[in-house]
Amino acid sequence: MHATVETATLLGIDAVPVEVQVDVSSGIPAFTIVGLGDAAVLEARERVRSAIRRCGFDFPGARVVVNLAPAPLRKHGTGFDLPIAAAILVATGQLQRNLLESAVLVGELSLDGSVRSVPGMLAQARSAQARRLRLIGPSGILRYRAALSDLDAQPIDTLRDLLQRCAETPCPRIDAPAPRKCFPDLADIVGQSSAKRALEIAATGGHHVLFTGPPGTGKSMLAHAMCGILPALDTDEAIATALVHSVAGADETAALAGVRPFRAPHHSATIAGLLGGGSPPRPGEVCLAHNGVLFLDELPEFAPSALQSLRQPLEEGSVTLVRADARIAFPARFTLIAAANPCPCGYLGDSQRRCTCAESTISRYRARVGGPLMDRMDISVDVPRIDPSFLLRTHSSETSSVVASRVLEARQRAISRNASLDESIGTLPRGRLRQHIALSRLSATASEALASCARVGHLSGRAVVRLVSVARTIADLESSADVLRPHILEALGYRTWDTDAAA
Amino acid sequence: MTDTFRRFEIEQDHEAYPACFFDVPEPPPVLYGIGNPDLLNPGLGVIGARKATPYGRRCARMFAGWAASHGQTVVSGAAIGCDQEAHLAALEAQGATVAVLGCGADVDYPRRAGALLRDVRRRGVVVSECPWGTPPQPWLFRKRNRLIAALSRVLLVVEASLPSGTFVTAEYALDAGREVCAVPGSILAPECRGSNRLIRQGATPVTDVSELALTLQADFQLCNPDYADSSRDELARALIANPMRPDDAARECELDIVETVRRISELELEGVIRKYPDGRYGSC
Repeated sequence: MHATVETATLLGIDAVPVEVQVDVSSGIPAFTIVGLGDAAVLEARERVRSAIRRCGFDFPGARVVVNLAPAPLRKHGTGFDLPIAAAILVATGQLQRNLLESAVLVGELSLDGSVRSVPGMLAQARSAQARRLRLIGPSGILRYRAALSDLDAQPIDTLRDLLQRCAETPCPRIDAPAPRKCFPDLADIVGQSSAKRALEIAATGGHHVLFTGPPGTGKSMLAHAMCGILPALDTDEAIATALVHSVAGADETAALAGVRPFRAPHHSATIAGLLGGGSPPRPGEVCLAHNGVLFLDELPEFAPSALQSLRQPLEEGSVTLVRADARIAFPARFTLIAAANPCPCGYLGDSQRRCTCAESTISRYRARVGGPLMDRMDISVDVPRIDPSFLLRTHSSETSSVVASRVLEARQRAISRNASLDESIGTLPRGRLRQHIALSRLSATASEALASCARVGHLSGRAVVRLVSVARTIADLESSADVLRPHILEALGYRTWDTDAAA
Repeated sequence: MTDTFRRFEIEQDHEAYPACFFDVPEPPPVLYGIGNPDLLNPGLGVIGARKATPYGRRCARMFAGWAASHGQTVVSGAAIGCDQEAHLAALEAQGATVAVLGCGADVDYPRRAGALLRDVRRRGVVVSECPWGTPPQPWLFRKRNRLIAALSRVLLVVEASLPSGTFVTAEYALDAGREVCAVPGSILAPECRGSNRLIRQGATPVTDVSELALTLQADFQLCNPDYADSSRDELARALIANPMRPDDAARECELDIVETVRRISELELEGVIRKYPDGRYGSC
């Protein structure tokens, strides 16, 4: 008596097909699982045995061997409970064989037979859709049908439902609306006009921003406000972002509804926490921020090694974890917003309080961030303390929705300009200076301004590229086809502190 | 080699003879020179000790370079130390410079200054009261000092010990009714004793470029300091008066932030203001 059922295991953000083969033969009663499963897979024996009995089926008093093919692939997690149980039911003739043909089963079983969700269900759904198979799993899978249009999903609540529902065509269920996250509105932030402008440019061009200022001036609030001016995720972006969240076991509902992720890891984060790691490899914070914002508050307080590890994702838009048995890539294209105090005491350049730091302490503090990472910050602005009297007066300022509409228009212009190049926001070719400048359409006066900037500011090649890309975004915001002199000049005003030291 | 440059000789009764030489005792009967004789008008004399400290050299370079870039002719004696720094700075600033020698104007002395003197002959003028080919003699250099005084409307002493040829030049200049300025130095350094004494005796102390600018403006009425140039620009004036961040500057001047950031960058490129390490913008 033999049966096979299709399922899949996670490898990075992909679900790799796995076949569950069950052989029930006479002999001393036993229940064995082979095929490189981890401890969670092996524990399936107890859950499957209980669940089958609790749902009124019989567990065979015979020799049961389960093989997970392909055998050399490492399998992990509890998603194999449901396919193993189903395969045993088919092999013992308690379930019709044809019910599970052209279907993928994924789910964890409780001892009472109810089906629970496992991390990476979205990846499973995508894989099932690609393989044109019906996905049978926990009830949560129905909500993926909004994003994955032709997904054939059959939710079941308990093992027993396999008998009835698999024959039915599923009824669509109305999704609960995604939770609207609350972001601070730009209009609620008093003053800080240059920081708001920086946010607008960063949101448009996907540039990385550094806010420098004394404690309590609203750096974190500004960073959170970024979410309010970014346009919603489009369908592809939403799926890509939700996939990472799903694999990490986090809630992917918000991402599927188009809300851009905002991740703010604490400064005690390790390299594994930021980039991802572990066994099986799980995505880290930078991957969870894919298509969204990664906010690093108190940048110099992060471990220098952790900060240096950000260079690869910043450069390539992905994280590659190399393990003995696999190379796993997670997407990680995010906008980095970093906040830092200007010096350890926090009051360098403050209008009221005196900075008590020694010159050497300040340079040591700044050196912690490291030149290479600093070199990748496109925009740097000061967030100074606001005069208390100014704080209490009422001011009218633009709301986030006004800025968001400008950002959206400018992004569309950028996309249509780059359409022929198949380049999306923030991925203009870096490193290829000539090509980059040619693509940006610099006017003659802009080139002249750029040359004098480079001369006066001793700019490196990378700094010039950065300057041009920021200027290009500013030009997009003003719906200018060419980059003009004022755009270059404004971009020059947002240089980072490292460039200042060199000047 | 010097033949490739324009040589000239001007006698005392010739109309091209610069009148300023009559302000000093024993005006030279004949002037021998190589270069552009039109530059022989009173300019800014920058002189200092031959055994100059880095401080003296740096001051000479700073003030001479600034004056030359603002259209002043820099006059000095091509001696090792402060003098050469002054000529170099003037040449680097694409300005005019005059070297007065105590030997023949075609003689490269000091010998290591040959390259510098060639540049001065080509782009400025080298002048002497000694006939062609006269070898350097110590007393000739003392006498030549009165000519530097004569060619300076304002004489800036960057560093002088006591007694020294520099101090002698300053005395000639005072006798000739020239404005004498001096850069103050450490009261403990023997290299600065002469320049500090000049200040005590009434020379104008110069402690930065803007003070030199004010002196020159009073004496020449043509050399404007930087901030006078940009005085039309309210933003530049505000930032020079009180270093600020773009946000504050925008509020003070009631400008749009985008406009402010752009104009600050423009002013920065023009060299009127610069960014401080704490993020504010202010005068250079």
